[in-house]
Amino acid sequence: MRIVCSALAATALTLAGFAAQAQETVKIGILQSFSGITSLGGQQADGAVKLFMKKYGDTAGGKKIELIRRDTTGPNPEVAKRLVQEVVTRERVNLLIGPDYTPNTLAAAPILMEAKVPSFVTGAATTGIIGEKSKYSTRTFFAVPQLCRPLASYAVKNGWKRVYVAVADFAPGHDCEKYFLEALKEANGELAGNVRIPVSNPEFSGYMQRMRDAKADAVFIFMPIGELSIGILRAINDSGLKSTGIKIMGTGDITDETYIDAVGDAAIGTITTGIYSTQHNSPLNKEFVKEWAELNGKQRIGWGALAVYDSMRLTYDALNAQGAGKFDADKFISFVHGRTFESPRGPVTIDKNNGDIIQNIYIRRVDKVDGVLQNVEIESFSNVGFK
Amino acid sequence: MSAFDSPQNRAASGTGYFASLSRWNIFEILFWLALASLYFWPHADLVLMSQIFIWGLFAMSLDVLLGYRGIPSLGHAAFFGIGAYVAGYCGKFGWTEPISALVLAMLVAAGVGWLTGKLVQRVAGVALLMVTLGLNLILYDLVHRSTEITGGDDGLQGIVIDPVLGLFRFDIFGRTAFWYALIVTFVLFVATRAIIKSPFGLALTGARENPRRMIMLGAPVEGDVSRAFALAAALAGASGALLTQTTQFVAPSSLSFQRSADVLVILIIGGAGRLYGGFIGALIFLFLRDWLAAISPVYWYFWIGLLLVVVVSFFRKGILPTIEDVYTRWRGRRGASP
Amino acid sequence: MSAVLTVLFNGIAYGFLLFIMSVGLSVTLGMMNFVNLAQASFSMFGGYVMVMAMQWFGVPFLLTLPLVFLVIGVLSVVMERLVFRHFYNTDDLTQVLLTIGLVFMSIATATYFWGGTYQRIDMPPWLIGQREIFGLTLETYRIFLIVIGLAMALALILGLERTRFGAMVRACVDNRRVAGACGLNTGLIFALTFAVGGGLAGLGGALSANLLGLDPNFPLRYLVYLLIIVSVGGMGTISGTLIAGIALGVADVMGKYYFPQFGGFVIYVLTVLCMLWRPQGLMGRKA
Repeated sequence: MRIVCSALAATALTLAGFAAQAQETVKIGILQSFSGITSLGGQQADGAVKLFMKKYGDTAGGKKIELIRRDTTGPNPEVAKRLVQEVVTRERVNLLIGPDYTPNTLAAAPILMEAKVPSFVTGAATTGIIGEKSKYSTRTFFAVPQLCRPLASYAVKNGWKRVYVAVADFAPGHDCEKYFLEALKEANGELAGNVRIPVSNPEFSGYMQRMRDAKADAVFIFMPIGELSIGILRAINDSGLKSTGIKIMGTGDITDETYIDAVGDAAIGTITTGIYSTQHNSPLNKEFVKEWAELNGKQRIGWGALAVYDSMRLTYDALNAQGAGKFDADKFISFVHGRTFESPRGPVTIDKNNGDIIQNIYIRRVDKVDGVLQNVEIESFSNVGFK
Repeated sequence: MSAFDSPQNRAASGTGYFASLSRWNIFEILFWLALASLYFWPHADLVLMSQIFIWGLFAMSLDVLLGYRGIPSLGHAAFFGIGAYVAGYCGKFGWTEPISALVLAMLVAAGVGWLTGKLVQRVAGVALLMVTLGLNLILYDLVHRSTEITGGDDGLQGIVIDPVLGLFRFDIFGRTAFWYALIVTFVLFVATRAIIKSPFGLALTGARENPRRMIMLGAPVEGDVSRAFALAAALAGASGALLTQTTQFVAPSSLSFQRSADVLVILIIGGAGRLYGGFIGALIFLFLRDWLAAISPVYWYFWIGLLLVVVVSFFRKGILPTIEDVYTRWRGRRGASP
Repeated sequence: MSAVLTVLFNGIAYGFLLFIMSVGLSVTLGMMNFVNLAQASFSMFGGYVMVMAMQWFGVPFLLTLPLVFLVIGVLSVVMERLVFRHFYNTDDLTQVLLTIGLVFMSIATATYFWGGTYQRIDMPPWLIGQREIFGLTLETYRIFLIVIGLAMALALILGLERTRFGAMVRACVDNRRVAGACGLNTGLIFALTFAVGGGLAGLGGALSANLLGLDPNFPLRYLVYLLIIVSVGGMGTISGTLIAGIALGVADVMGKYYFPQFGGFVIYVLTVLCMLWRPQGLMGRKA
């Protein structure tokens, strides 16, 4: 028992040992999902980091950048939080890109606060997860309202007044449904009906028939990245619903570039909101797309890749601004928060007060450009806030 | 026979038999000392260790059903998740003292387990697997969809857990988590061990081997099913509560089918019907998984799959029983030619 | 009225899809008593074989189906000779562990060769779109699934359940030593049955990929469905698998149409109730 007691006493040790280490390197933990159903996120993050470091080198502010990759295995807070603790306390990373997914981000937040480790949120879109409870976090992804609100007024403006709403039956879907319905009401649109579709669901025909019965002008869809998005777009096409002339709208997840080819021609004409399209017309983006293709081959660019790329951008800028001397988390955050910069997606501002993101939101339509399915930007909303 | 309950000293009389059955041997004491000593390893990943204890306890709870009563369950994560969410709700609604919340979680899980036992006591084999699996999936779906009540996929928000005994708060190095998980696991292990080595435990094993004969002996075989379920669920609930309290977070992944499958894998790797099998399995499976995932984040599935194939090929009964067999044979040979 | 009939038709078609996906498992698990979860991996590889044949070599879709059956059939015999046959006498849980290990390996292997993303699957034009039948607008691919599913069911019931070969398989499973003593080449019979089961699983993958999508996680995502269909139908009966598939398919689609608030529950609740009511499955013989 004496052993136990003395060991317990050791737990009273504070974080004193923490800051003591001198350093010439800056360690960045890359906590993404590299395996299983969600492995696409990890591949995208890898591609972005590789591209960025090839272009800008592996030093910033005179410090060598060292990467620590860990697999969060998807939305799995038990693993994600453990990995954050592990890389923070044992690997002593200076900052994190990730962890991805809302539950992972939420579970990790207290650790990052306590250890004063800045992190970039590159894969969680839930509102309110950035802010006072995690002042060392910066979101380079997007917030749900940014994508879910704009289409309501857009639809009504185009005369598609009766809208059917179909969302995936889980927290982000409920979140998105709420914002869209709010915005639809404000725009004086009409709800033709709504349905929540289970997240493990291979069969859509029952829902297709409901949508058909509702005689809506348009359908608004929110689905997570993956087979549900592919499935619902194909089902709308196969069931003949699409040829009835109903407009298909949704958040950009359903026509994400990483798998739009698997949806095939069924995707053509779909109207989505997005933060980024490879078709975005800016010199910076053209360069980005070209370099990505040279390095990563056929794999296309998804939003996760862009969020990671921009996180690297902010990191390098902040380190360069800090210059020599020890890595200082507070200085890092005060540099990053409030910063405006040009990203391949367009201008981006990190909110000064809580680190959330303000960015342009684009309305895009899926079209074939040179034989390839693309999200072509047709309209844009500037500097959309995160609330 | 097993190295952990060595048969040498079994007395013929009833009480003597049970006394000898429950005597601790040197291997068991060494095992627990070894677990505790992991704390002093240089550069130890204490959080991983605490999760290994939690998985070990969880696997042991399945062992009560599978190893001692022969009831396979593909839905064991349901009880784990119930414990995890009870502990989570306690922390959310002001019952922040961890130990009493843990006990409450065990009681709730035990109640649900007892009911489940009542429901399934007449089915066996594949049907039992599918019923437990189905119940697990239904519960998962409910929790995952009810965003307003459970937080759904985002997890339950606002959980506060007090320091253990008011002294040791859960720190980011996982020191408190390590000792809290280890001590709770040990206490529950001792209790389970006593139950398993009692006449009740023997009756369970009897029903596993030959239920018809047990009925003829007048043993309450069906009632024992719900009791075994209650015991197993209580232990699973405790491990779930431990996870919530040490991570101060709970999300639907705590009752996912994946977890039910993983715990079955862990128990079978380690060896069922031994109490220790789950712990051995958890140590091997989680250490290797963490290590493989760190060195090969993309392809570790391949290596963990290969590990399973190798384990069933070379340790057909599970790692612990195979080692025991080798050990007893070695002892036997040495005993035969002194 | 036409909406109800369309929904019913879609449910039946979904039922046939479930049958086609799980019939391979029904053969190995039901007839041979071998818990081969890797059937789901065979399905995935079947899907990839189809996609590769079509994309790389321009093989027409219909011709890829026998090709898939052959390739995956051979693959499963190889696996049977190398791995599975050593585990015929072990208990269920050992087989589960072995084959789930193989599933994990297959996922990583598929990621390595084809990447983690979803495959593009282009059906021939005559299978796309809808057809008017009896005044109903029905999806062509679903009609195709029903036709193929019926053909498979008939072939299997007549070819495996009602024939000498079927009897030999059952004899081998019931008592291998006695069957061997009666002059049956039990090794060959087992290998052949395995080939049929594997080939069917591959076929299931190729036929379902169009609706379910195809990526390396295919096996884990649909494994639960396979298990549900086979056990609700009852071990060892092809007709049971067919009936379970259709019953659950219709219930699922109808449930989603009339009571969408219950979401995906319907199929799980029915499974639990069915297994409590008839533990041996709908068509299973009482043990």
